[in-house]
Amino acid sequence: MSLDQEIILVAISAYLIGTLALLNYLLSRSELAKRIGIPCAILGAAAQLYELVYRGTTTHIWPLTNLYGSLTLFAAMSVVIFIAFALRYDLWFMGGFVLALAAGFSAYSLTWDVGYLPAVPALQSYWIKIHVPLVISAYASFLVAFVSSLLYLTKYYGEQALATETVQMQTATAGGPSIGATATPRAIIVGDAPNLERAAAAGNTLALWLATLPTLPKLDIITYRIIAVGLPLLSIGIITGAWWAKEAWGAYWQWDAKETAALVSWVIYLLYLHLHTRNAWRGLRTAWISVFGFLSIVFCYLGVNILISGLHSYKV
Amino acid sequence: METASKAGPGTLRGWLDEQFGDLLWQLSNFWFGMTLLGIWGFMTLLGVVIDQGKDPASYFDAYPAPLARLVLRLHLDNIYHGTAYVALIGFIIACMTLATFKRVIPARLPPLHPVKIDKVPLNATITLPEDAASVRERVATFFRDKGFLVRKRELGGVEWTFADKHNWARRGVLIAHLGFVIVAIGTTLYWASGYSGETAIVTGTEATIPQNGTRLKLDRFGYEFQPIRTRNGLVYQPIDYVSNLEVAPRGGAFQSRVLRVNEPLDVDGTLYYQSSYGVAVSLALTKNGKPERSSPSAPLKEGEAFPVGATTRVIRYERFVGTIDENGGIGPDPRPNHPGAILAVLDGEQLIGRALVPIGRDLDLGNGFRVAATGFTFFSGIQYRHDPGIPFVALGAFVLLAGLVISFHFLPARLYVRVDGTAGGSQVSLAATTVKGFEIFEEQFAELVEALKQGLGVGPRIEPENTAG
Repeated sequence: MSLDQEIILVAISAYLIGTLALLNYLLSRSELAKRIGIPCAILGAAAQLYELVYRGTTTHIWPLTNLYGSLTLFAAMSVVIFIAFALRYDLWFMGGFVLALAAGFSAYSLTWDVGYLPAVPALQSYWIKIHVPLVISAYASFLVAFVSSLLYLTKYYGEQALATETVQMQTATAGGPSIGATATPRAIIVGDAPNLERAAAAGNTLALWLATLPTLPKLDIITYRIIAVGLPLLSIGIITGAWWAKEAWGAYWQWDAKETAALVSWVIYLLYLHLHTRNAWRGLRTAWISVFGFLSIVFCYLGVNILISGLHSYKV
Repeated sequence: METASKAGPGTLRGWLDEQFGDLLWQLSNFWFGMTLLGIWGFMTLLGVVIDQGKDPASYFDAYPAPLARLVLRLHLDNIYHGTAYVALIGFIIACMTLATFKRVIPARLPPLHPVKIDKVPLNATITLPEDAASVRERVATFFRDKGFLVRKRELGGVEWTFADKHNWARRGVLIAHLGFVIVAIGTTLYWASGYSGETAIVTGTEATIPQNGTRLKLDRFGYEFQPIRTRNGLVYQPIDYVSNLEVAPRGGAFQSRVLRVNEPLDVDGTLYYQSSYGVAVSLALTKNGKPERSSPSAPLKEGEAFPVGATTRVIRYERFVGTIDENGGIGPDPRPNHPGAILAVLDGEQLIGRALVPIGRDLDLGNGFRVAATGFTFFSGIQYRHDPGIPFVALGAFVLLAGLVISFHFLPARLYVRVDGTAGGSQVSLAATTVKGFEIFEEQFAELVEALKQGLGVGPRIEPENTAG
C-alpha cells in the first residue's frame, strides 16, 4: 500500500471515530465525546489535505484533475467548512453527520483511484487551480447546509409529533374525541417550545433530545449563513469556469451537461435566497429547498461526471 | 391592486390604462415568475437528459420510435437554441425587470413611516426619569455613535427617530439584478456584431476565415501521448496537442504562430482555439487494376464518403486506428505505430460491411473494385470567435457577484424609536425590522437594547420585552 493510500485510510478512520464521538455528543452532550470528536475531525481533514499536497509535490501533477482528487478535496473541505462554522456558532452537535458523509465520500473516492495520471491538455491551465477548488468548496458548503437542514426538518417534524400527542392528550382529558383527534392548530405546531418543554419535563425521550438542539429559527439561520458562503463560491466557480471554457474551447457556455446541471443548482440556491426573504417561506420550506439543492449538487457533481458523457467527463 | 389612470375612469383610455397596469402587476407577480422559472428548469432538464445536436438516426437508436419522433418534432434535440427556450428566457428577464421596479424596489427601500411598536416582534421599552427632549437627543447620539444613519421625522404629531444600519446594503439585490442586465448587454453585443465558427485544416493546406479574411496555413500538427501504467492497466494519456500555423490577417503577410489547447491566438481581435484534431486518410479506388474517376482527390476526414464508381454504393471513412495489433484488431495505443483506417461500405443508408484496412494495403470490394489506404495526414480542428461583448460580460459577472455578496453578508436593519413624555419622565419605545426577518437580528437587538440602557444610565431592573423567537 502506498503512502498516500495509508494517509487516506488514516483520514477515514479519524472521520469514523469522530462520527461516533460527535453522534454521542449529539445524543448525550457529553463533553468527553466532543473532546474526542473535534481532534478527529481536524486530523481527518488535515490528513486529506496533506495527501493532496503529497500527491502534487511527489508527482508534480496537480492533484485535482480526476474524480479521486476532487472527492478527496470535497470531503476535506466539508469538514474544514464545518469546523469553521462550528467554532463560530458552536455547531458541534451536527458534526457526526458531516463526518459520516465525509468518511463515505472519502471511501468512495478510493474506488476512483487509478494512480498518477498527468492532466489531459484541456486541464493544463492555471484556471484549474482557481475553478476546481472554488466549486468543490461550494459543494462542501452545501453539504454542511444540507446537514443543518436535515436537523431542522427532524426538529420540526419531531415537535409536530409532540404537539399532536399533546393535543390528543388534552382532548382526551377534556372528554372530547380521544384517539385520532385531527385538530392540530398550526400555531401550536410550529416551534412551540412550551409543548417541547412540557414533554421533556414528562420524560419523553424524543422531547429531551429535541430540546438539546437549537431552536428552529436558529437552525434556519445556521443554514442560511452556510448557504451565504456556498452560493457566492458557486457563483465565482461558475464564472471562472465560463472564463476558462472561453480560453479552452472558445465559448463561455456550451450547455454541456455539467454546465447546465451547475446552473440548475445555482438557480435552486438563488431561489432559496429569494424565498428566505419571505416570512411564509422562511423555515420549513427553505429547509426543503436546501435539501433539494444538495441533491441537485450531488447530481451535478457525481451524476453528470459518471453517468453522462460531455466536456466535463474527467472520471479518472 | 390600485391602478392610477391619467385619463380618468369611464373612458376607453382609462380602461386600457387600467388593464395595462393590471397586466404589468400580474407579470411582476412572484408566483408567476416562479412558474416561468419552473418551466425553464424543466426545459433545461430535458436538454440535459436528451443528447443535444445529434444525428436524427441516433435518437432512433437511443429511444423507442415514438419517443424519438417526439424529440425530433418538438425540436428537443436542439432545445437550448430553440425559439421557445430563447423567448422564455427573454420573458423571464422582462418579468424580473418588472418585479424589480414594481415590487422589489418599493419593498427594499421603504419610506420612513411609523409602526405599531408593540406589534413588531423585536421591541423593547425603557423608562427614564428625564424629560423626553433630552432623552431623544441622547438616543440619537447613541445610535449615531454605533454607526447608524439617524434621521428624525415628525409623523402624525409624533417625533420619530429612525436609525438604519447598512442602509446602503438594501441595494444589494438591485446590484445583483443589474449584473444580469450587463451580462445580457454583453451577450446581445456578441449576437449583434460578433461571430464564431470552426474550421478543419489538413497539414500543408490553407483555410480562409470567411468573416474576416484571415488565412490560416497548417504547417504541422503534433501531439503527445504518454503510456502510463495505472492500477487499472496501461493508459495512453494525451498530454499535448499543438498546431504550427502560418497566420495572415486580411491583406497581411504570413507569420508563424503556435496554437495549443488553453492558449488561444489573438489575431486582430478574433481568438483562435485548438479545439480538436483528427487523421485524414488518402484512399485510392481502382477497378480491374485501373484508377477509378470517383476516387477521392484529397484525403478524407472522418465521416466523409465517396461513391464506388457508378454503383449506388459509397465508401465512408469512419475512424483512424493508430495501432493494429498482431491479431488484426484495434490496439490500445492511439499513436500511428501500425496504422489503419476503418472503412464502411453502404448502399444508400444500409450498411453492407465494415473493415479495418492497414495503411499501405487494399480491400477487395467485389466486381473488380478495390480500395487502398495509401497514406494518412493529420488535420487540426480550430475554433474562432470574435466577441465584442467580453468586457460587458466580465463587468456584469463582477457586478452580479458584488450584489450577491452584499445581499448575503450585510444585514440592513431599521430601528424605529419614539420617546414619549410620561408623568415621571419619559419612555423610550423601540422596534427593529430587517430585510431577512427578525430572528437573524434577535441577538444583536438584545445587545443593542442592553447597550442603550447602559448608555442612558438605566439600572438592570427594566427588562426589554423581546418577544421574537
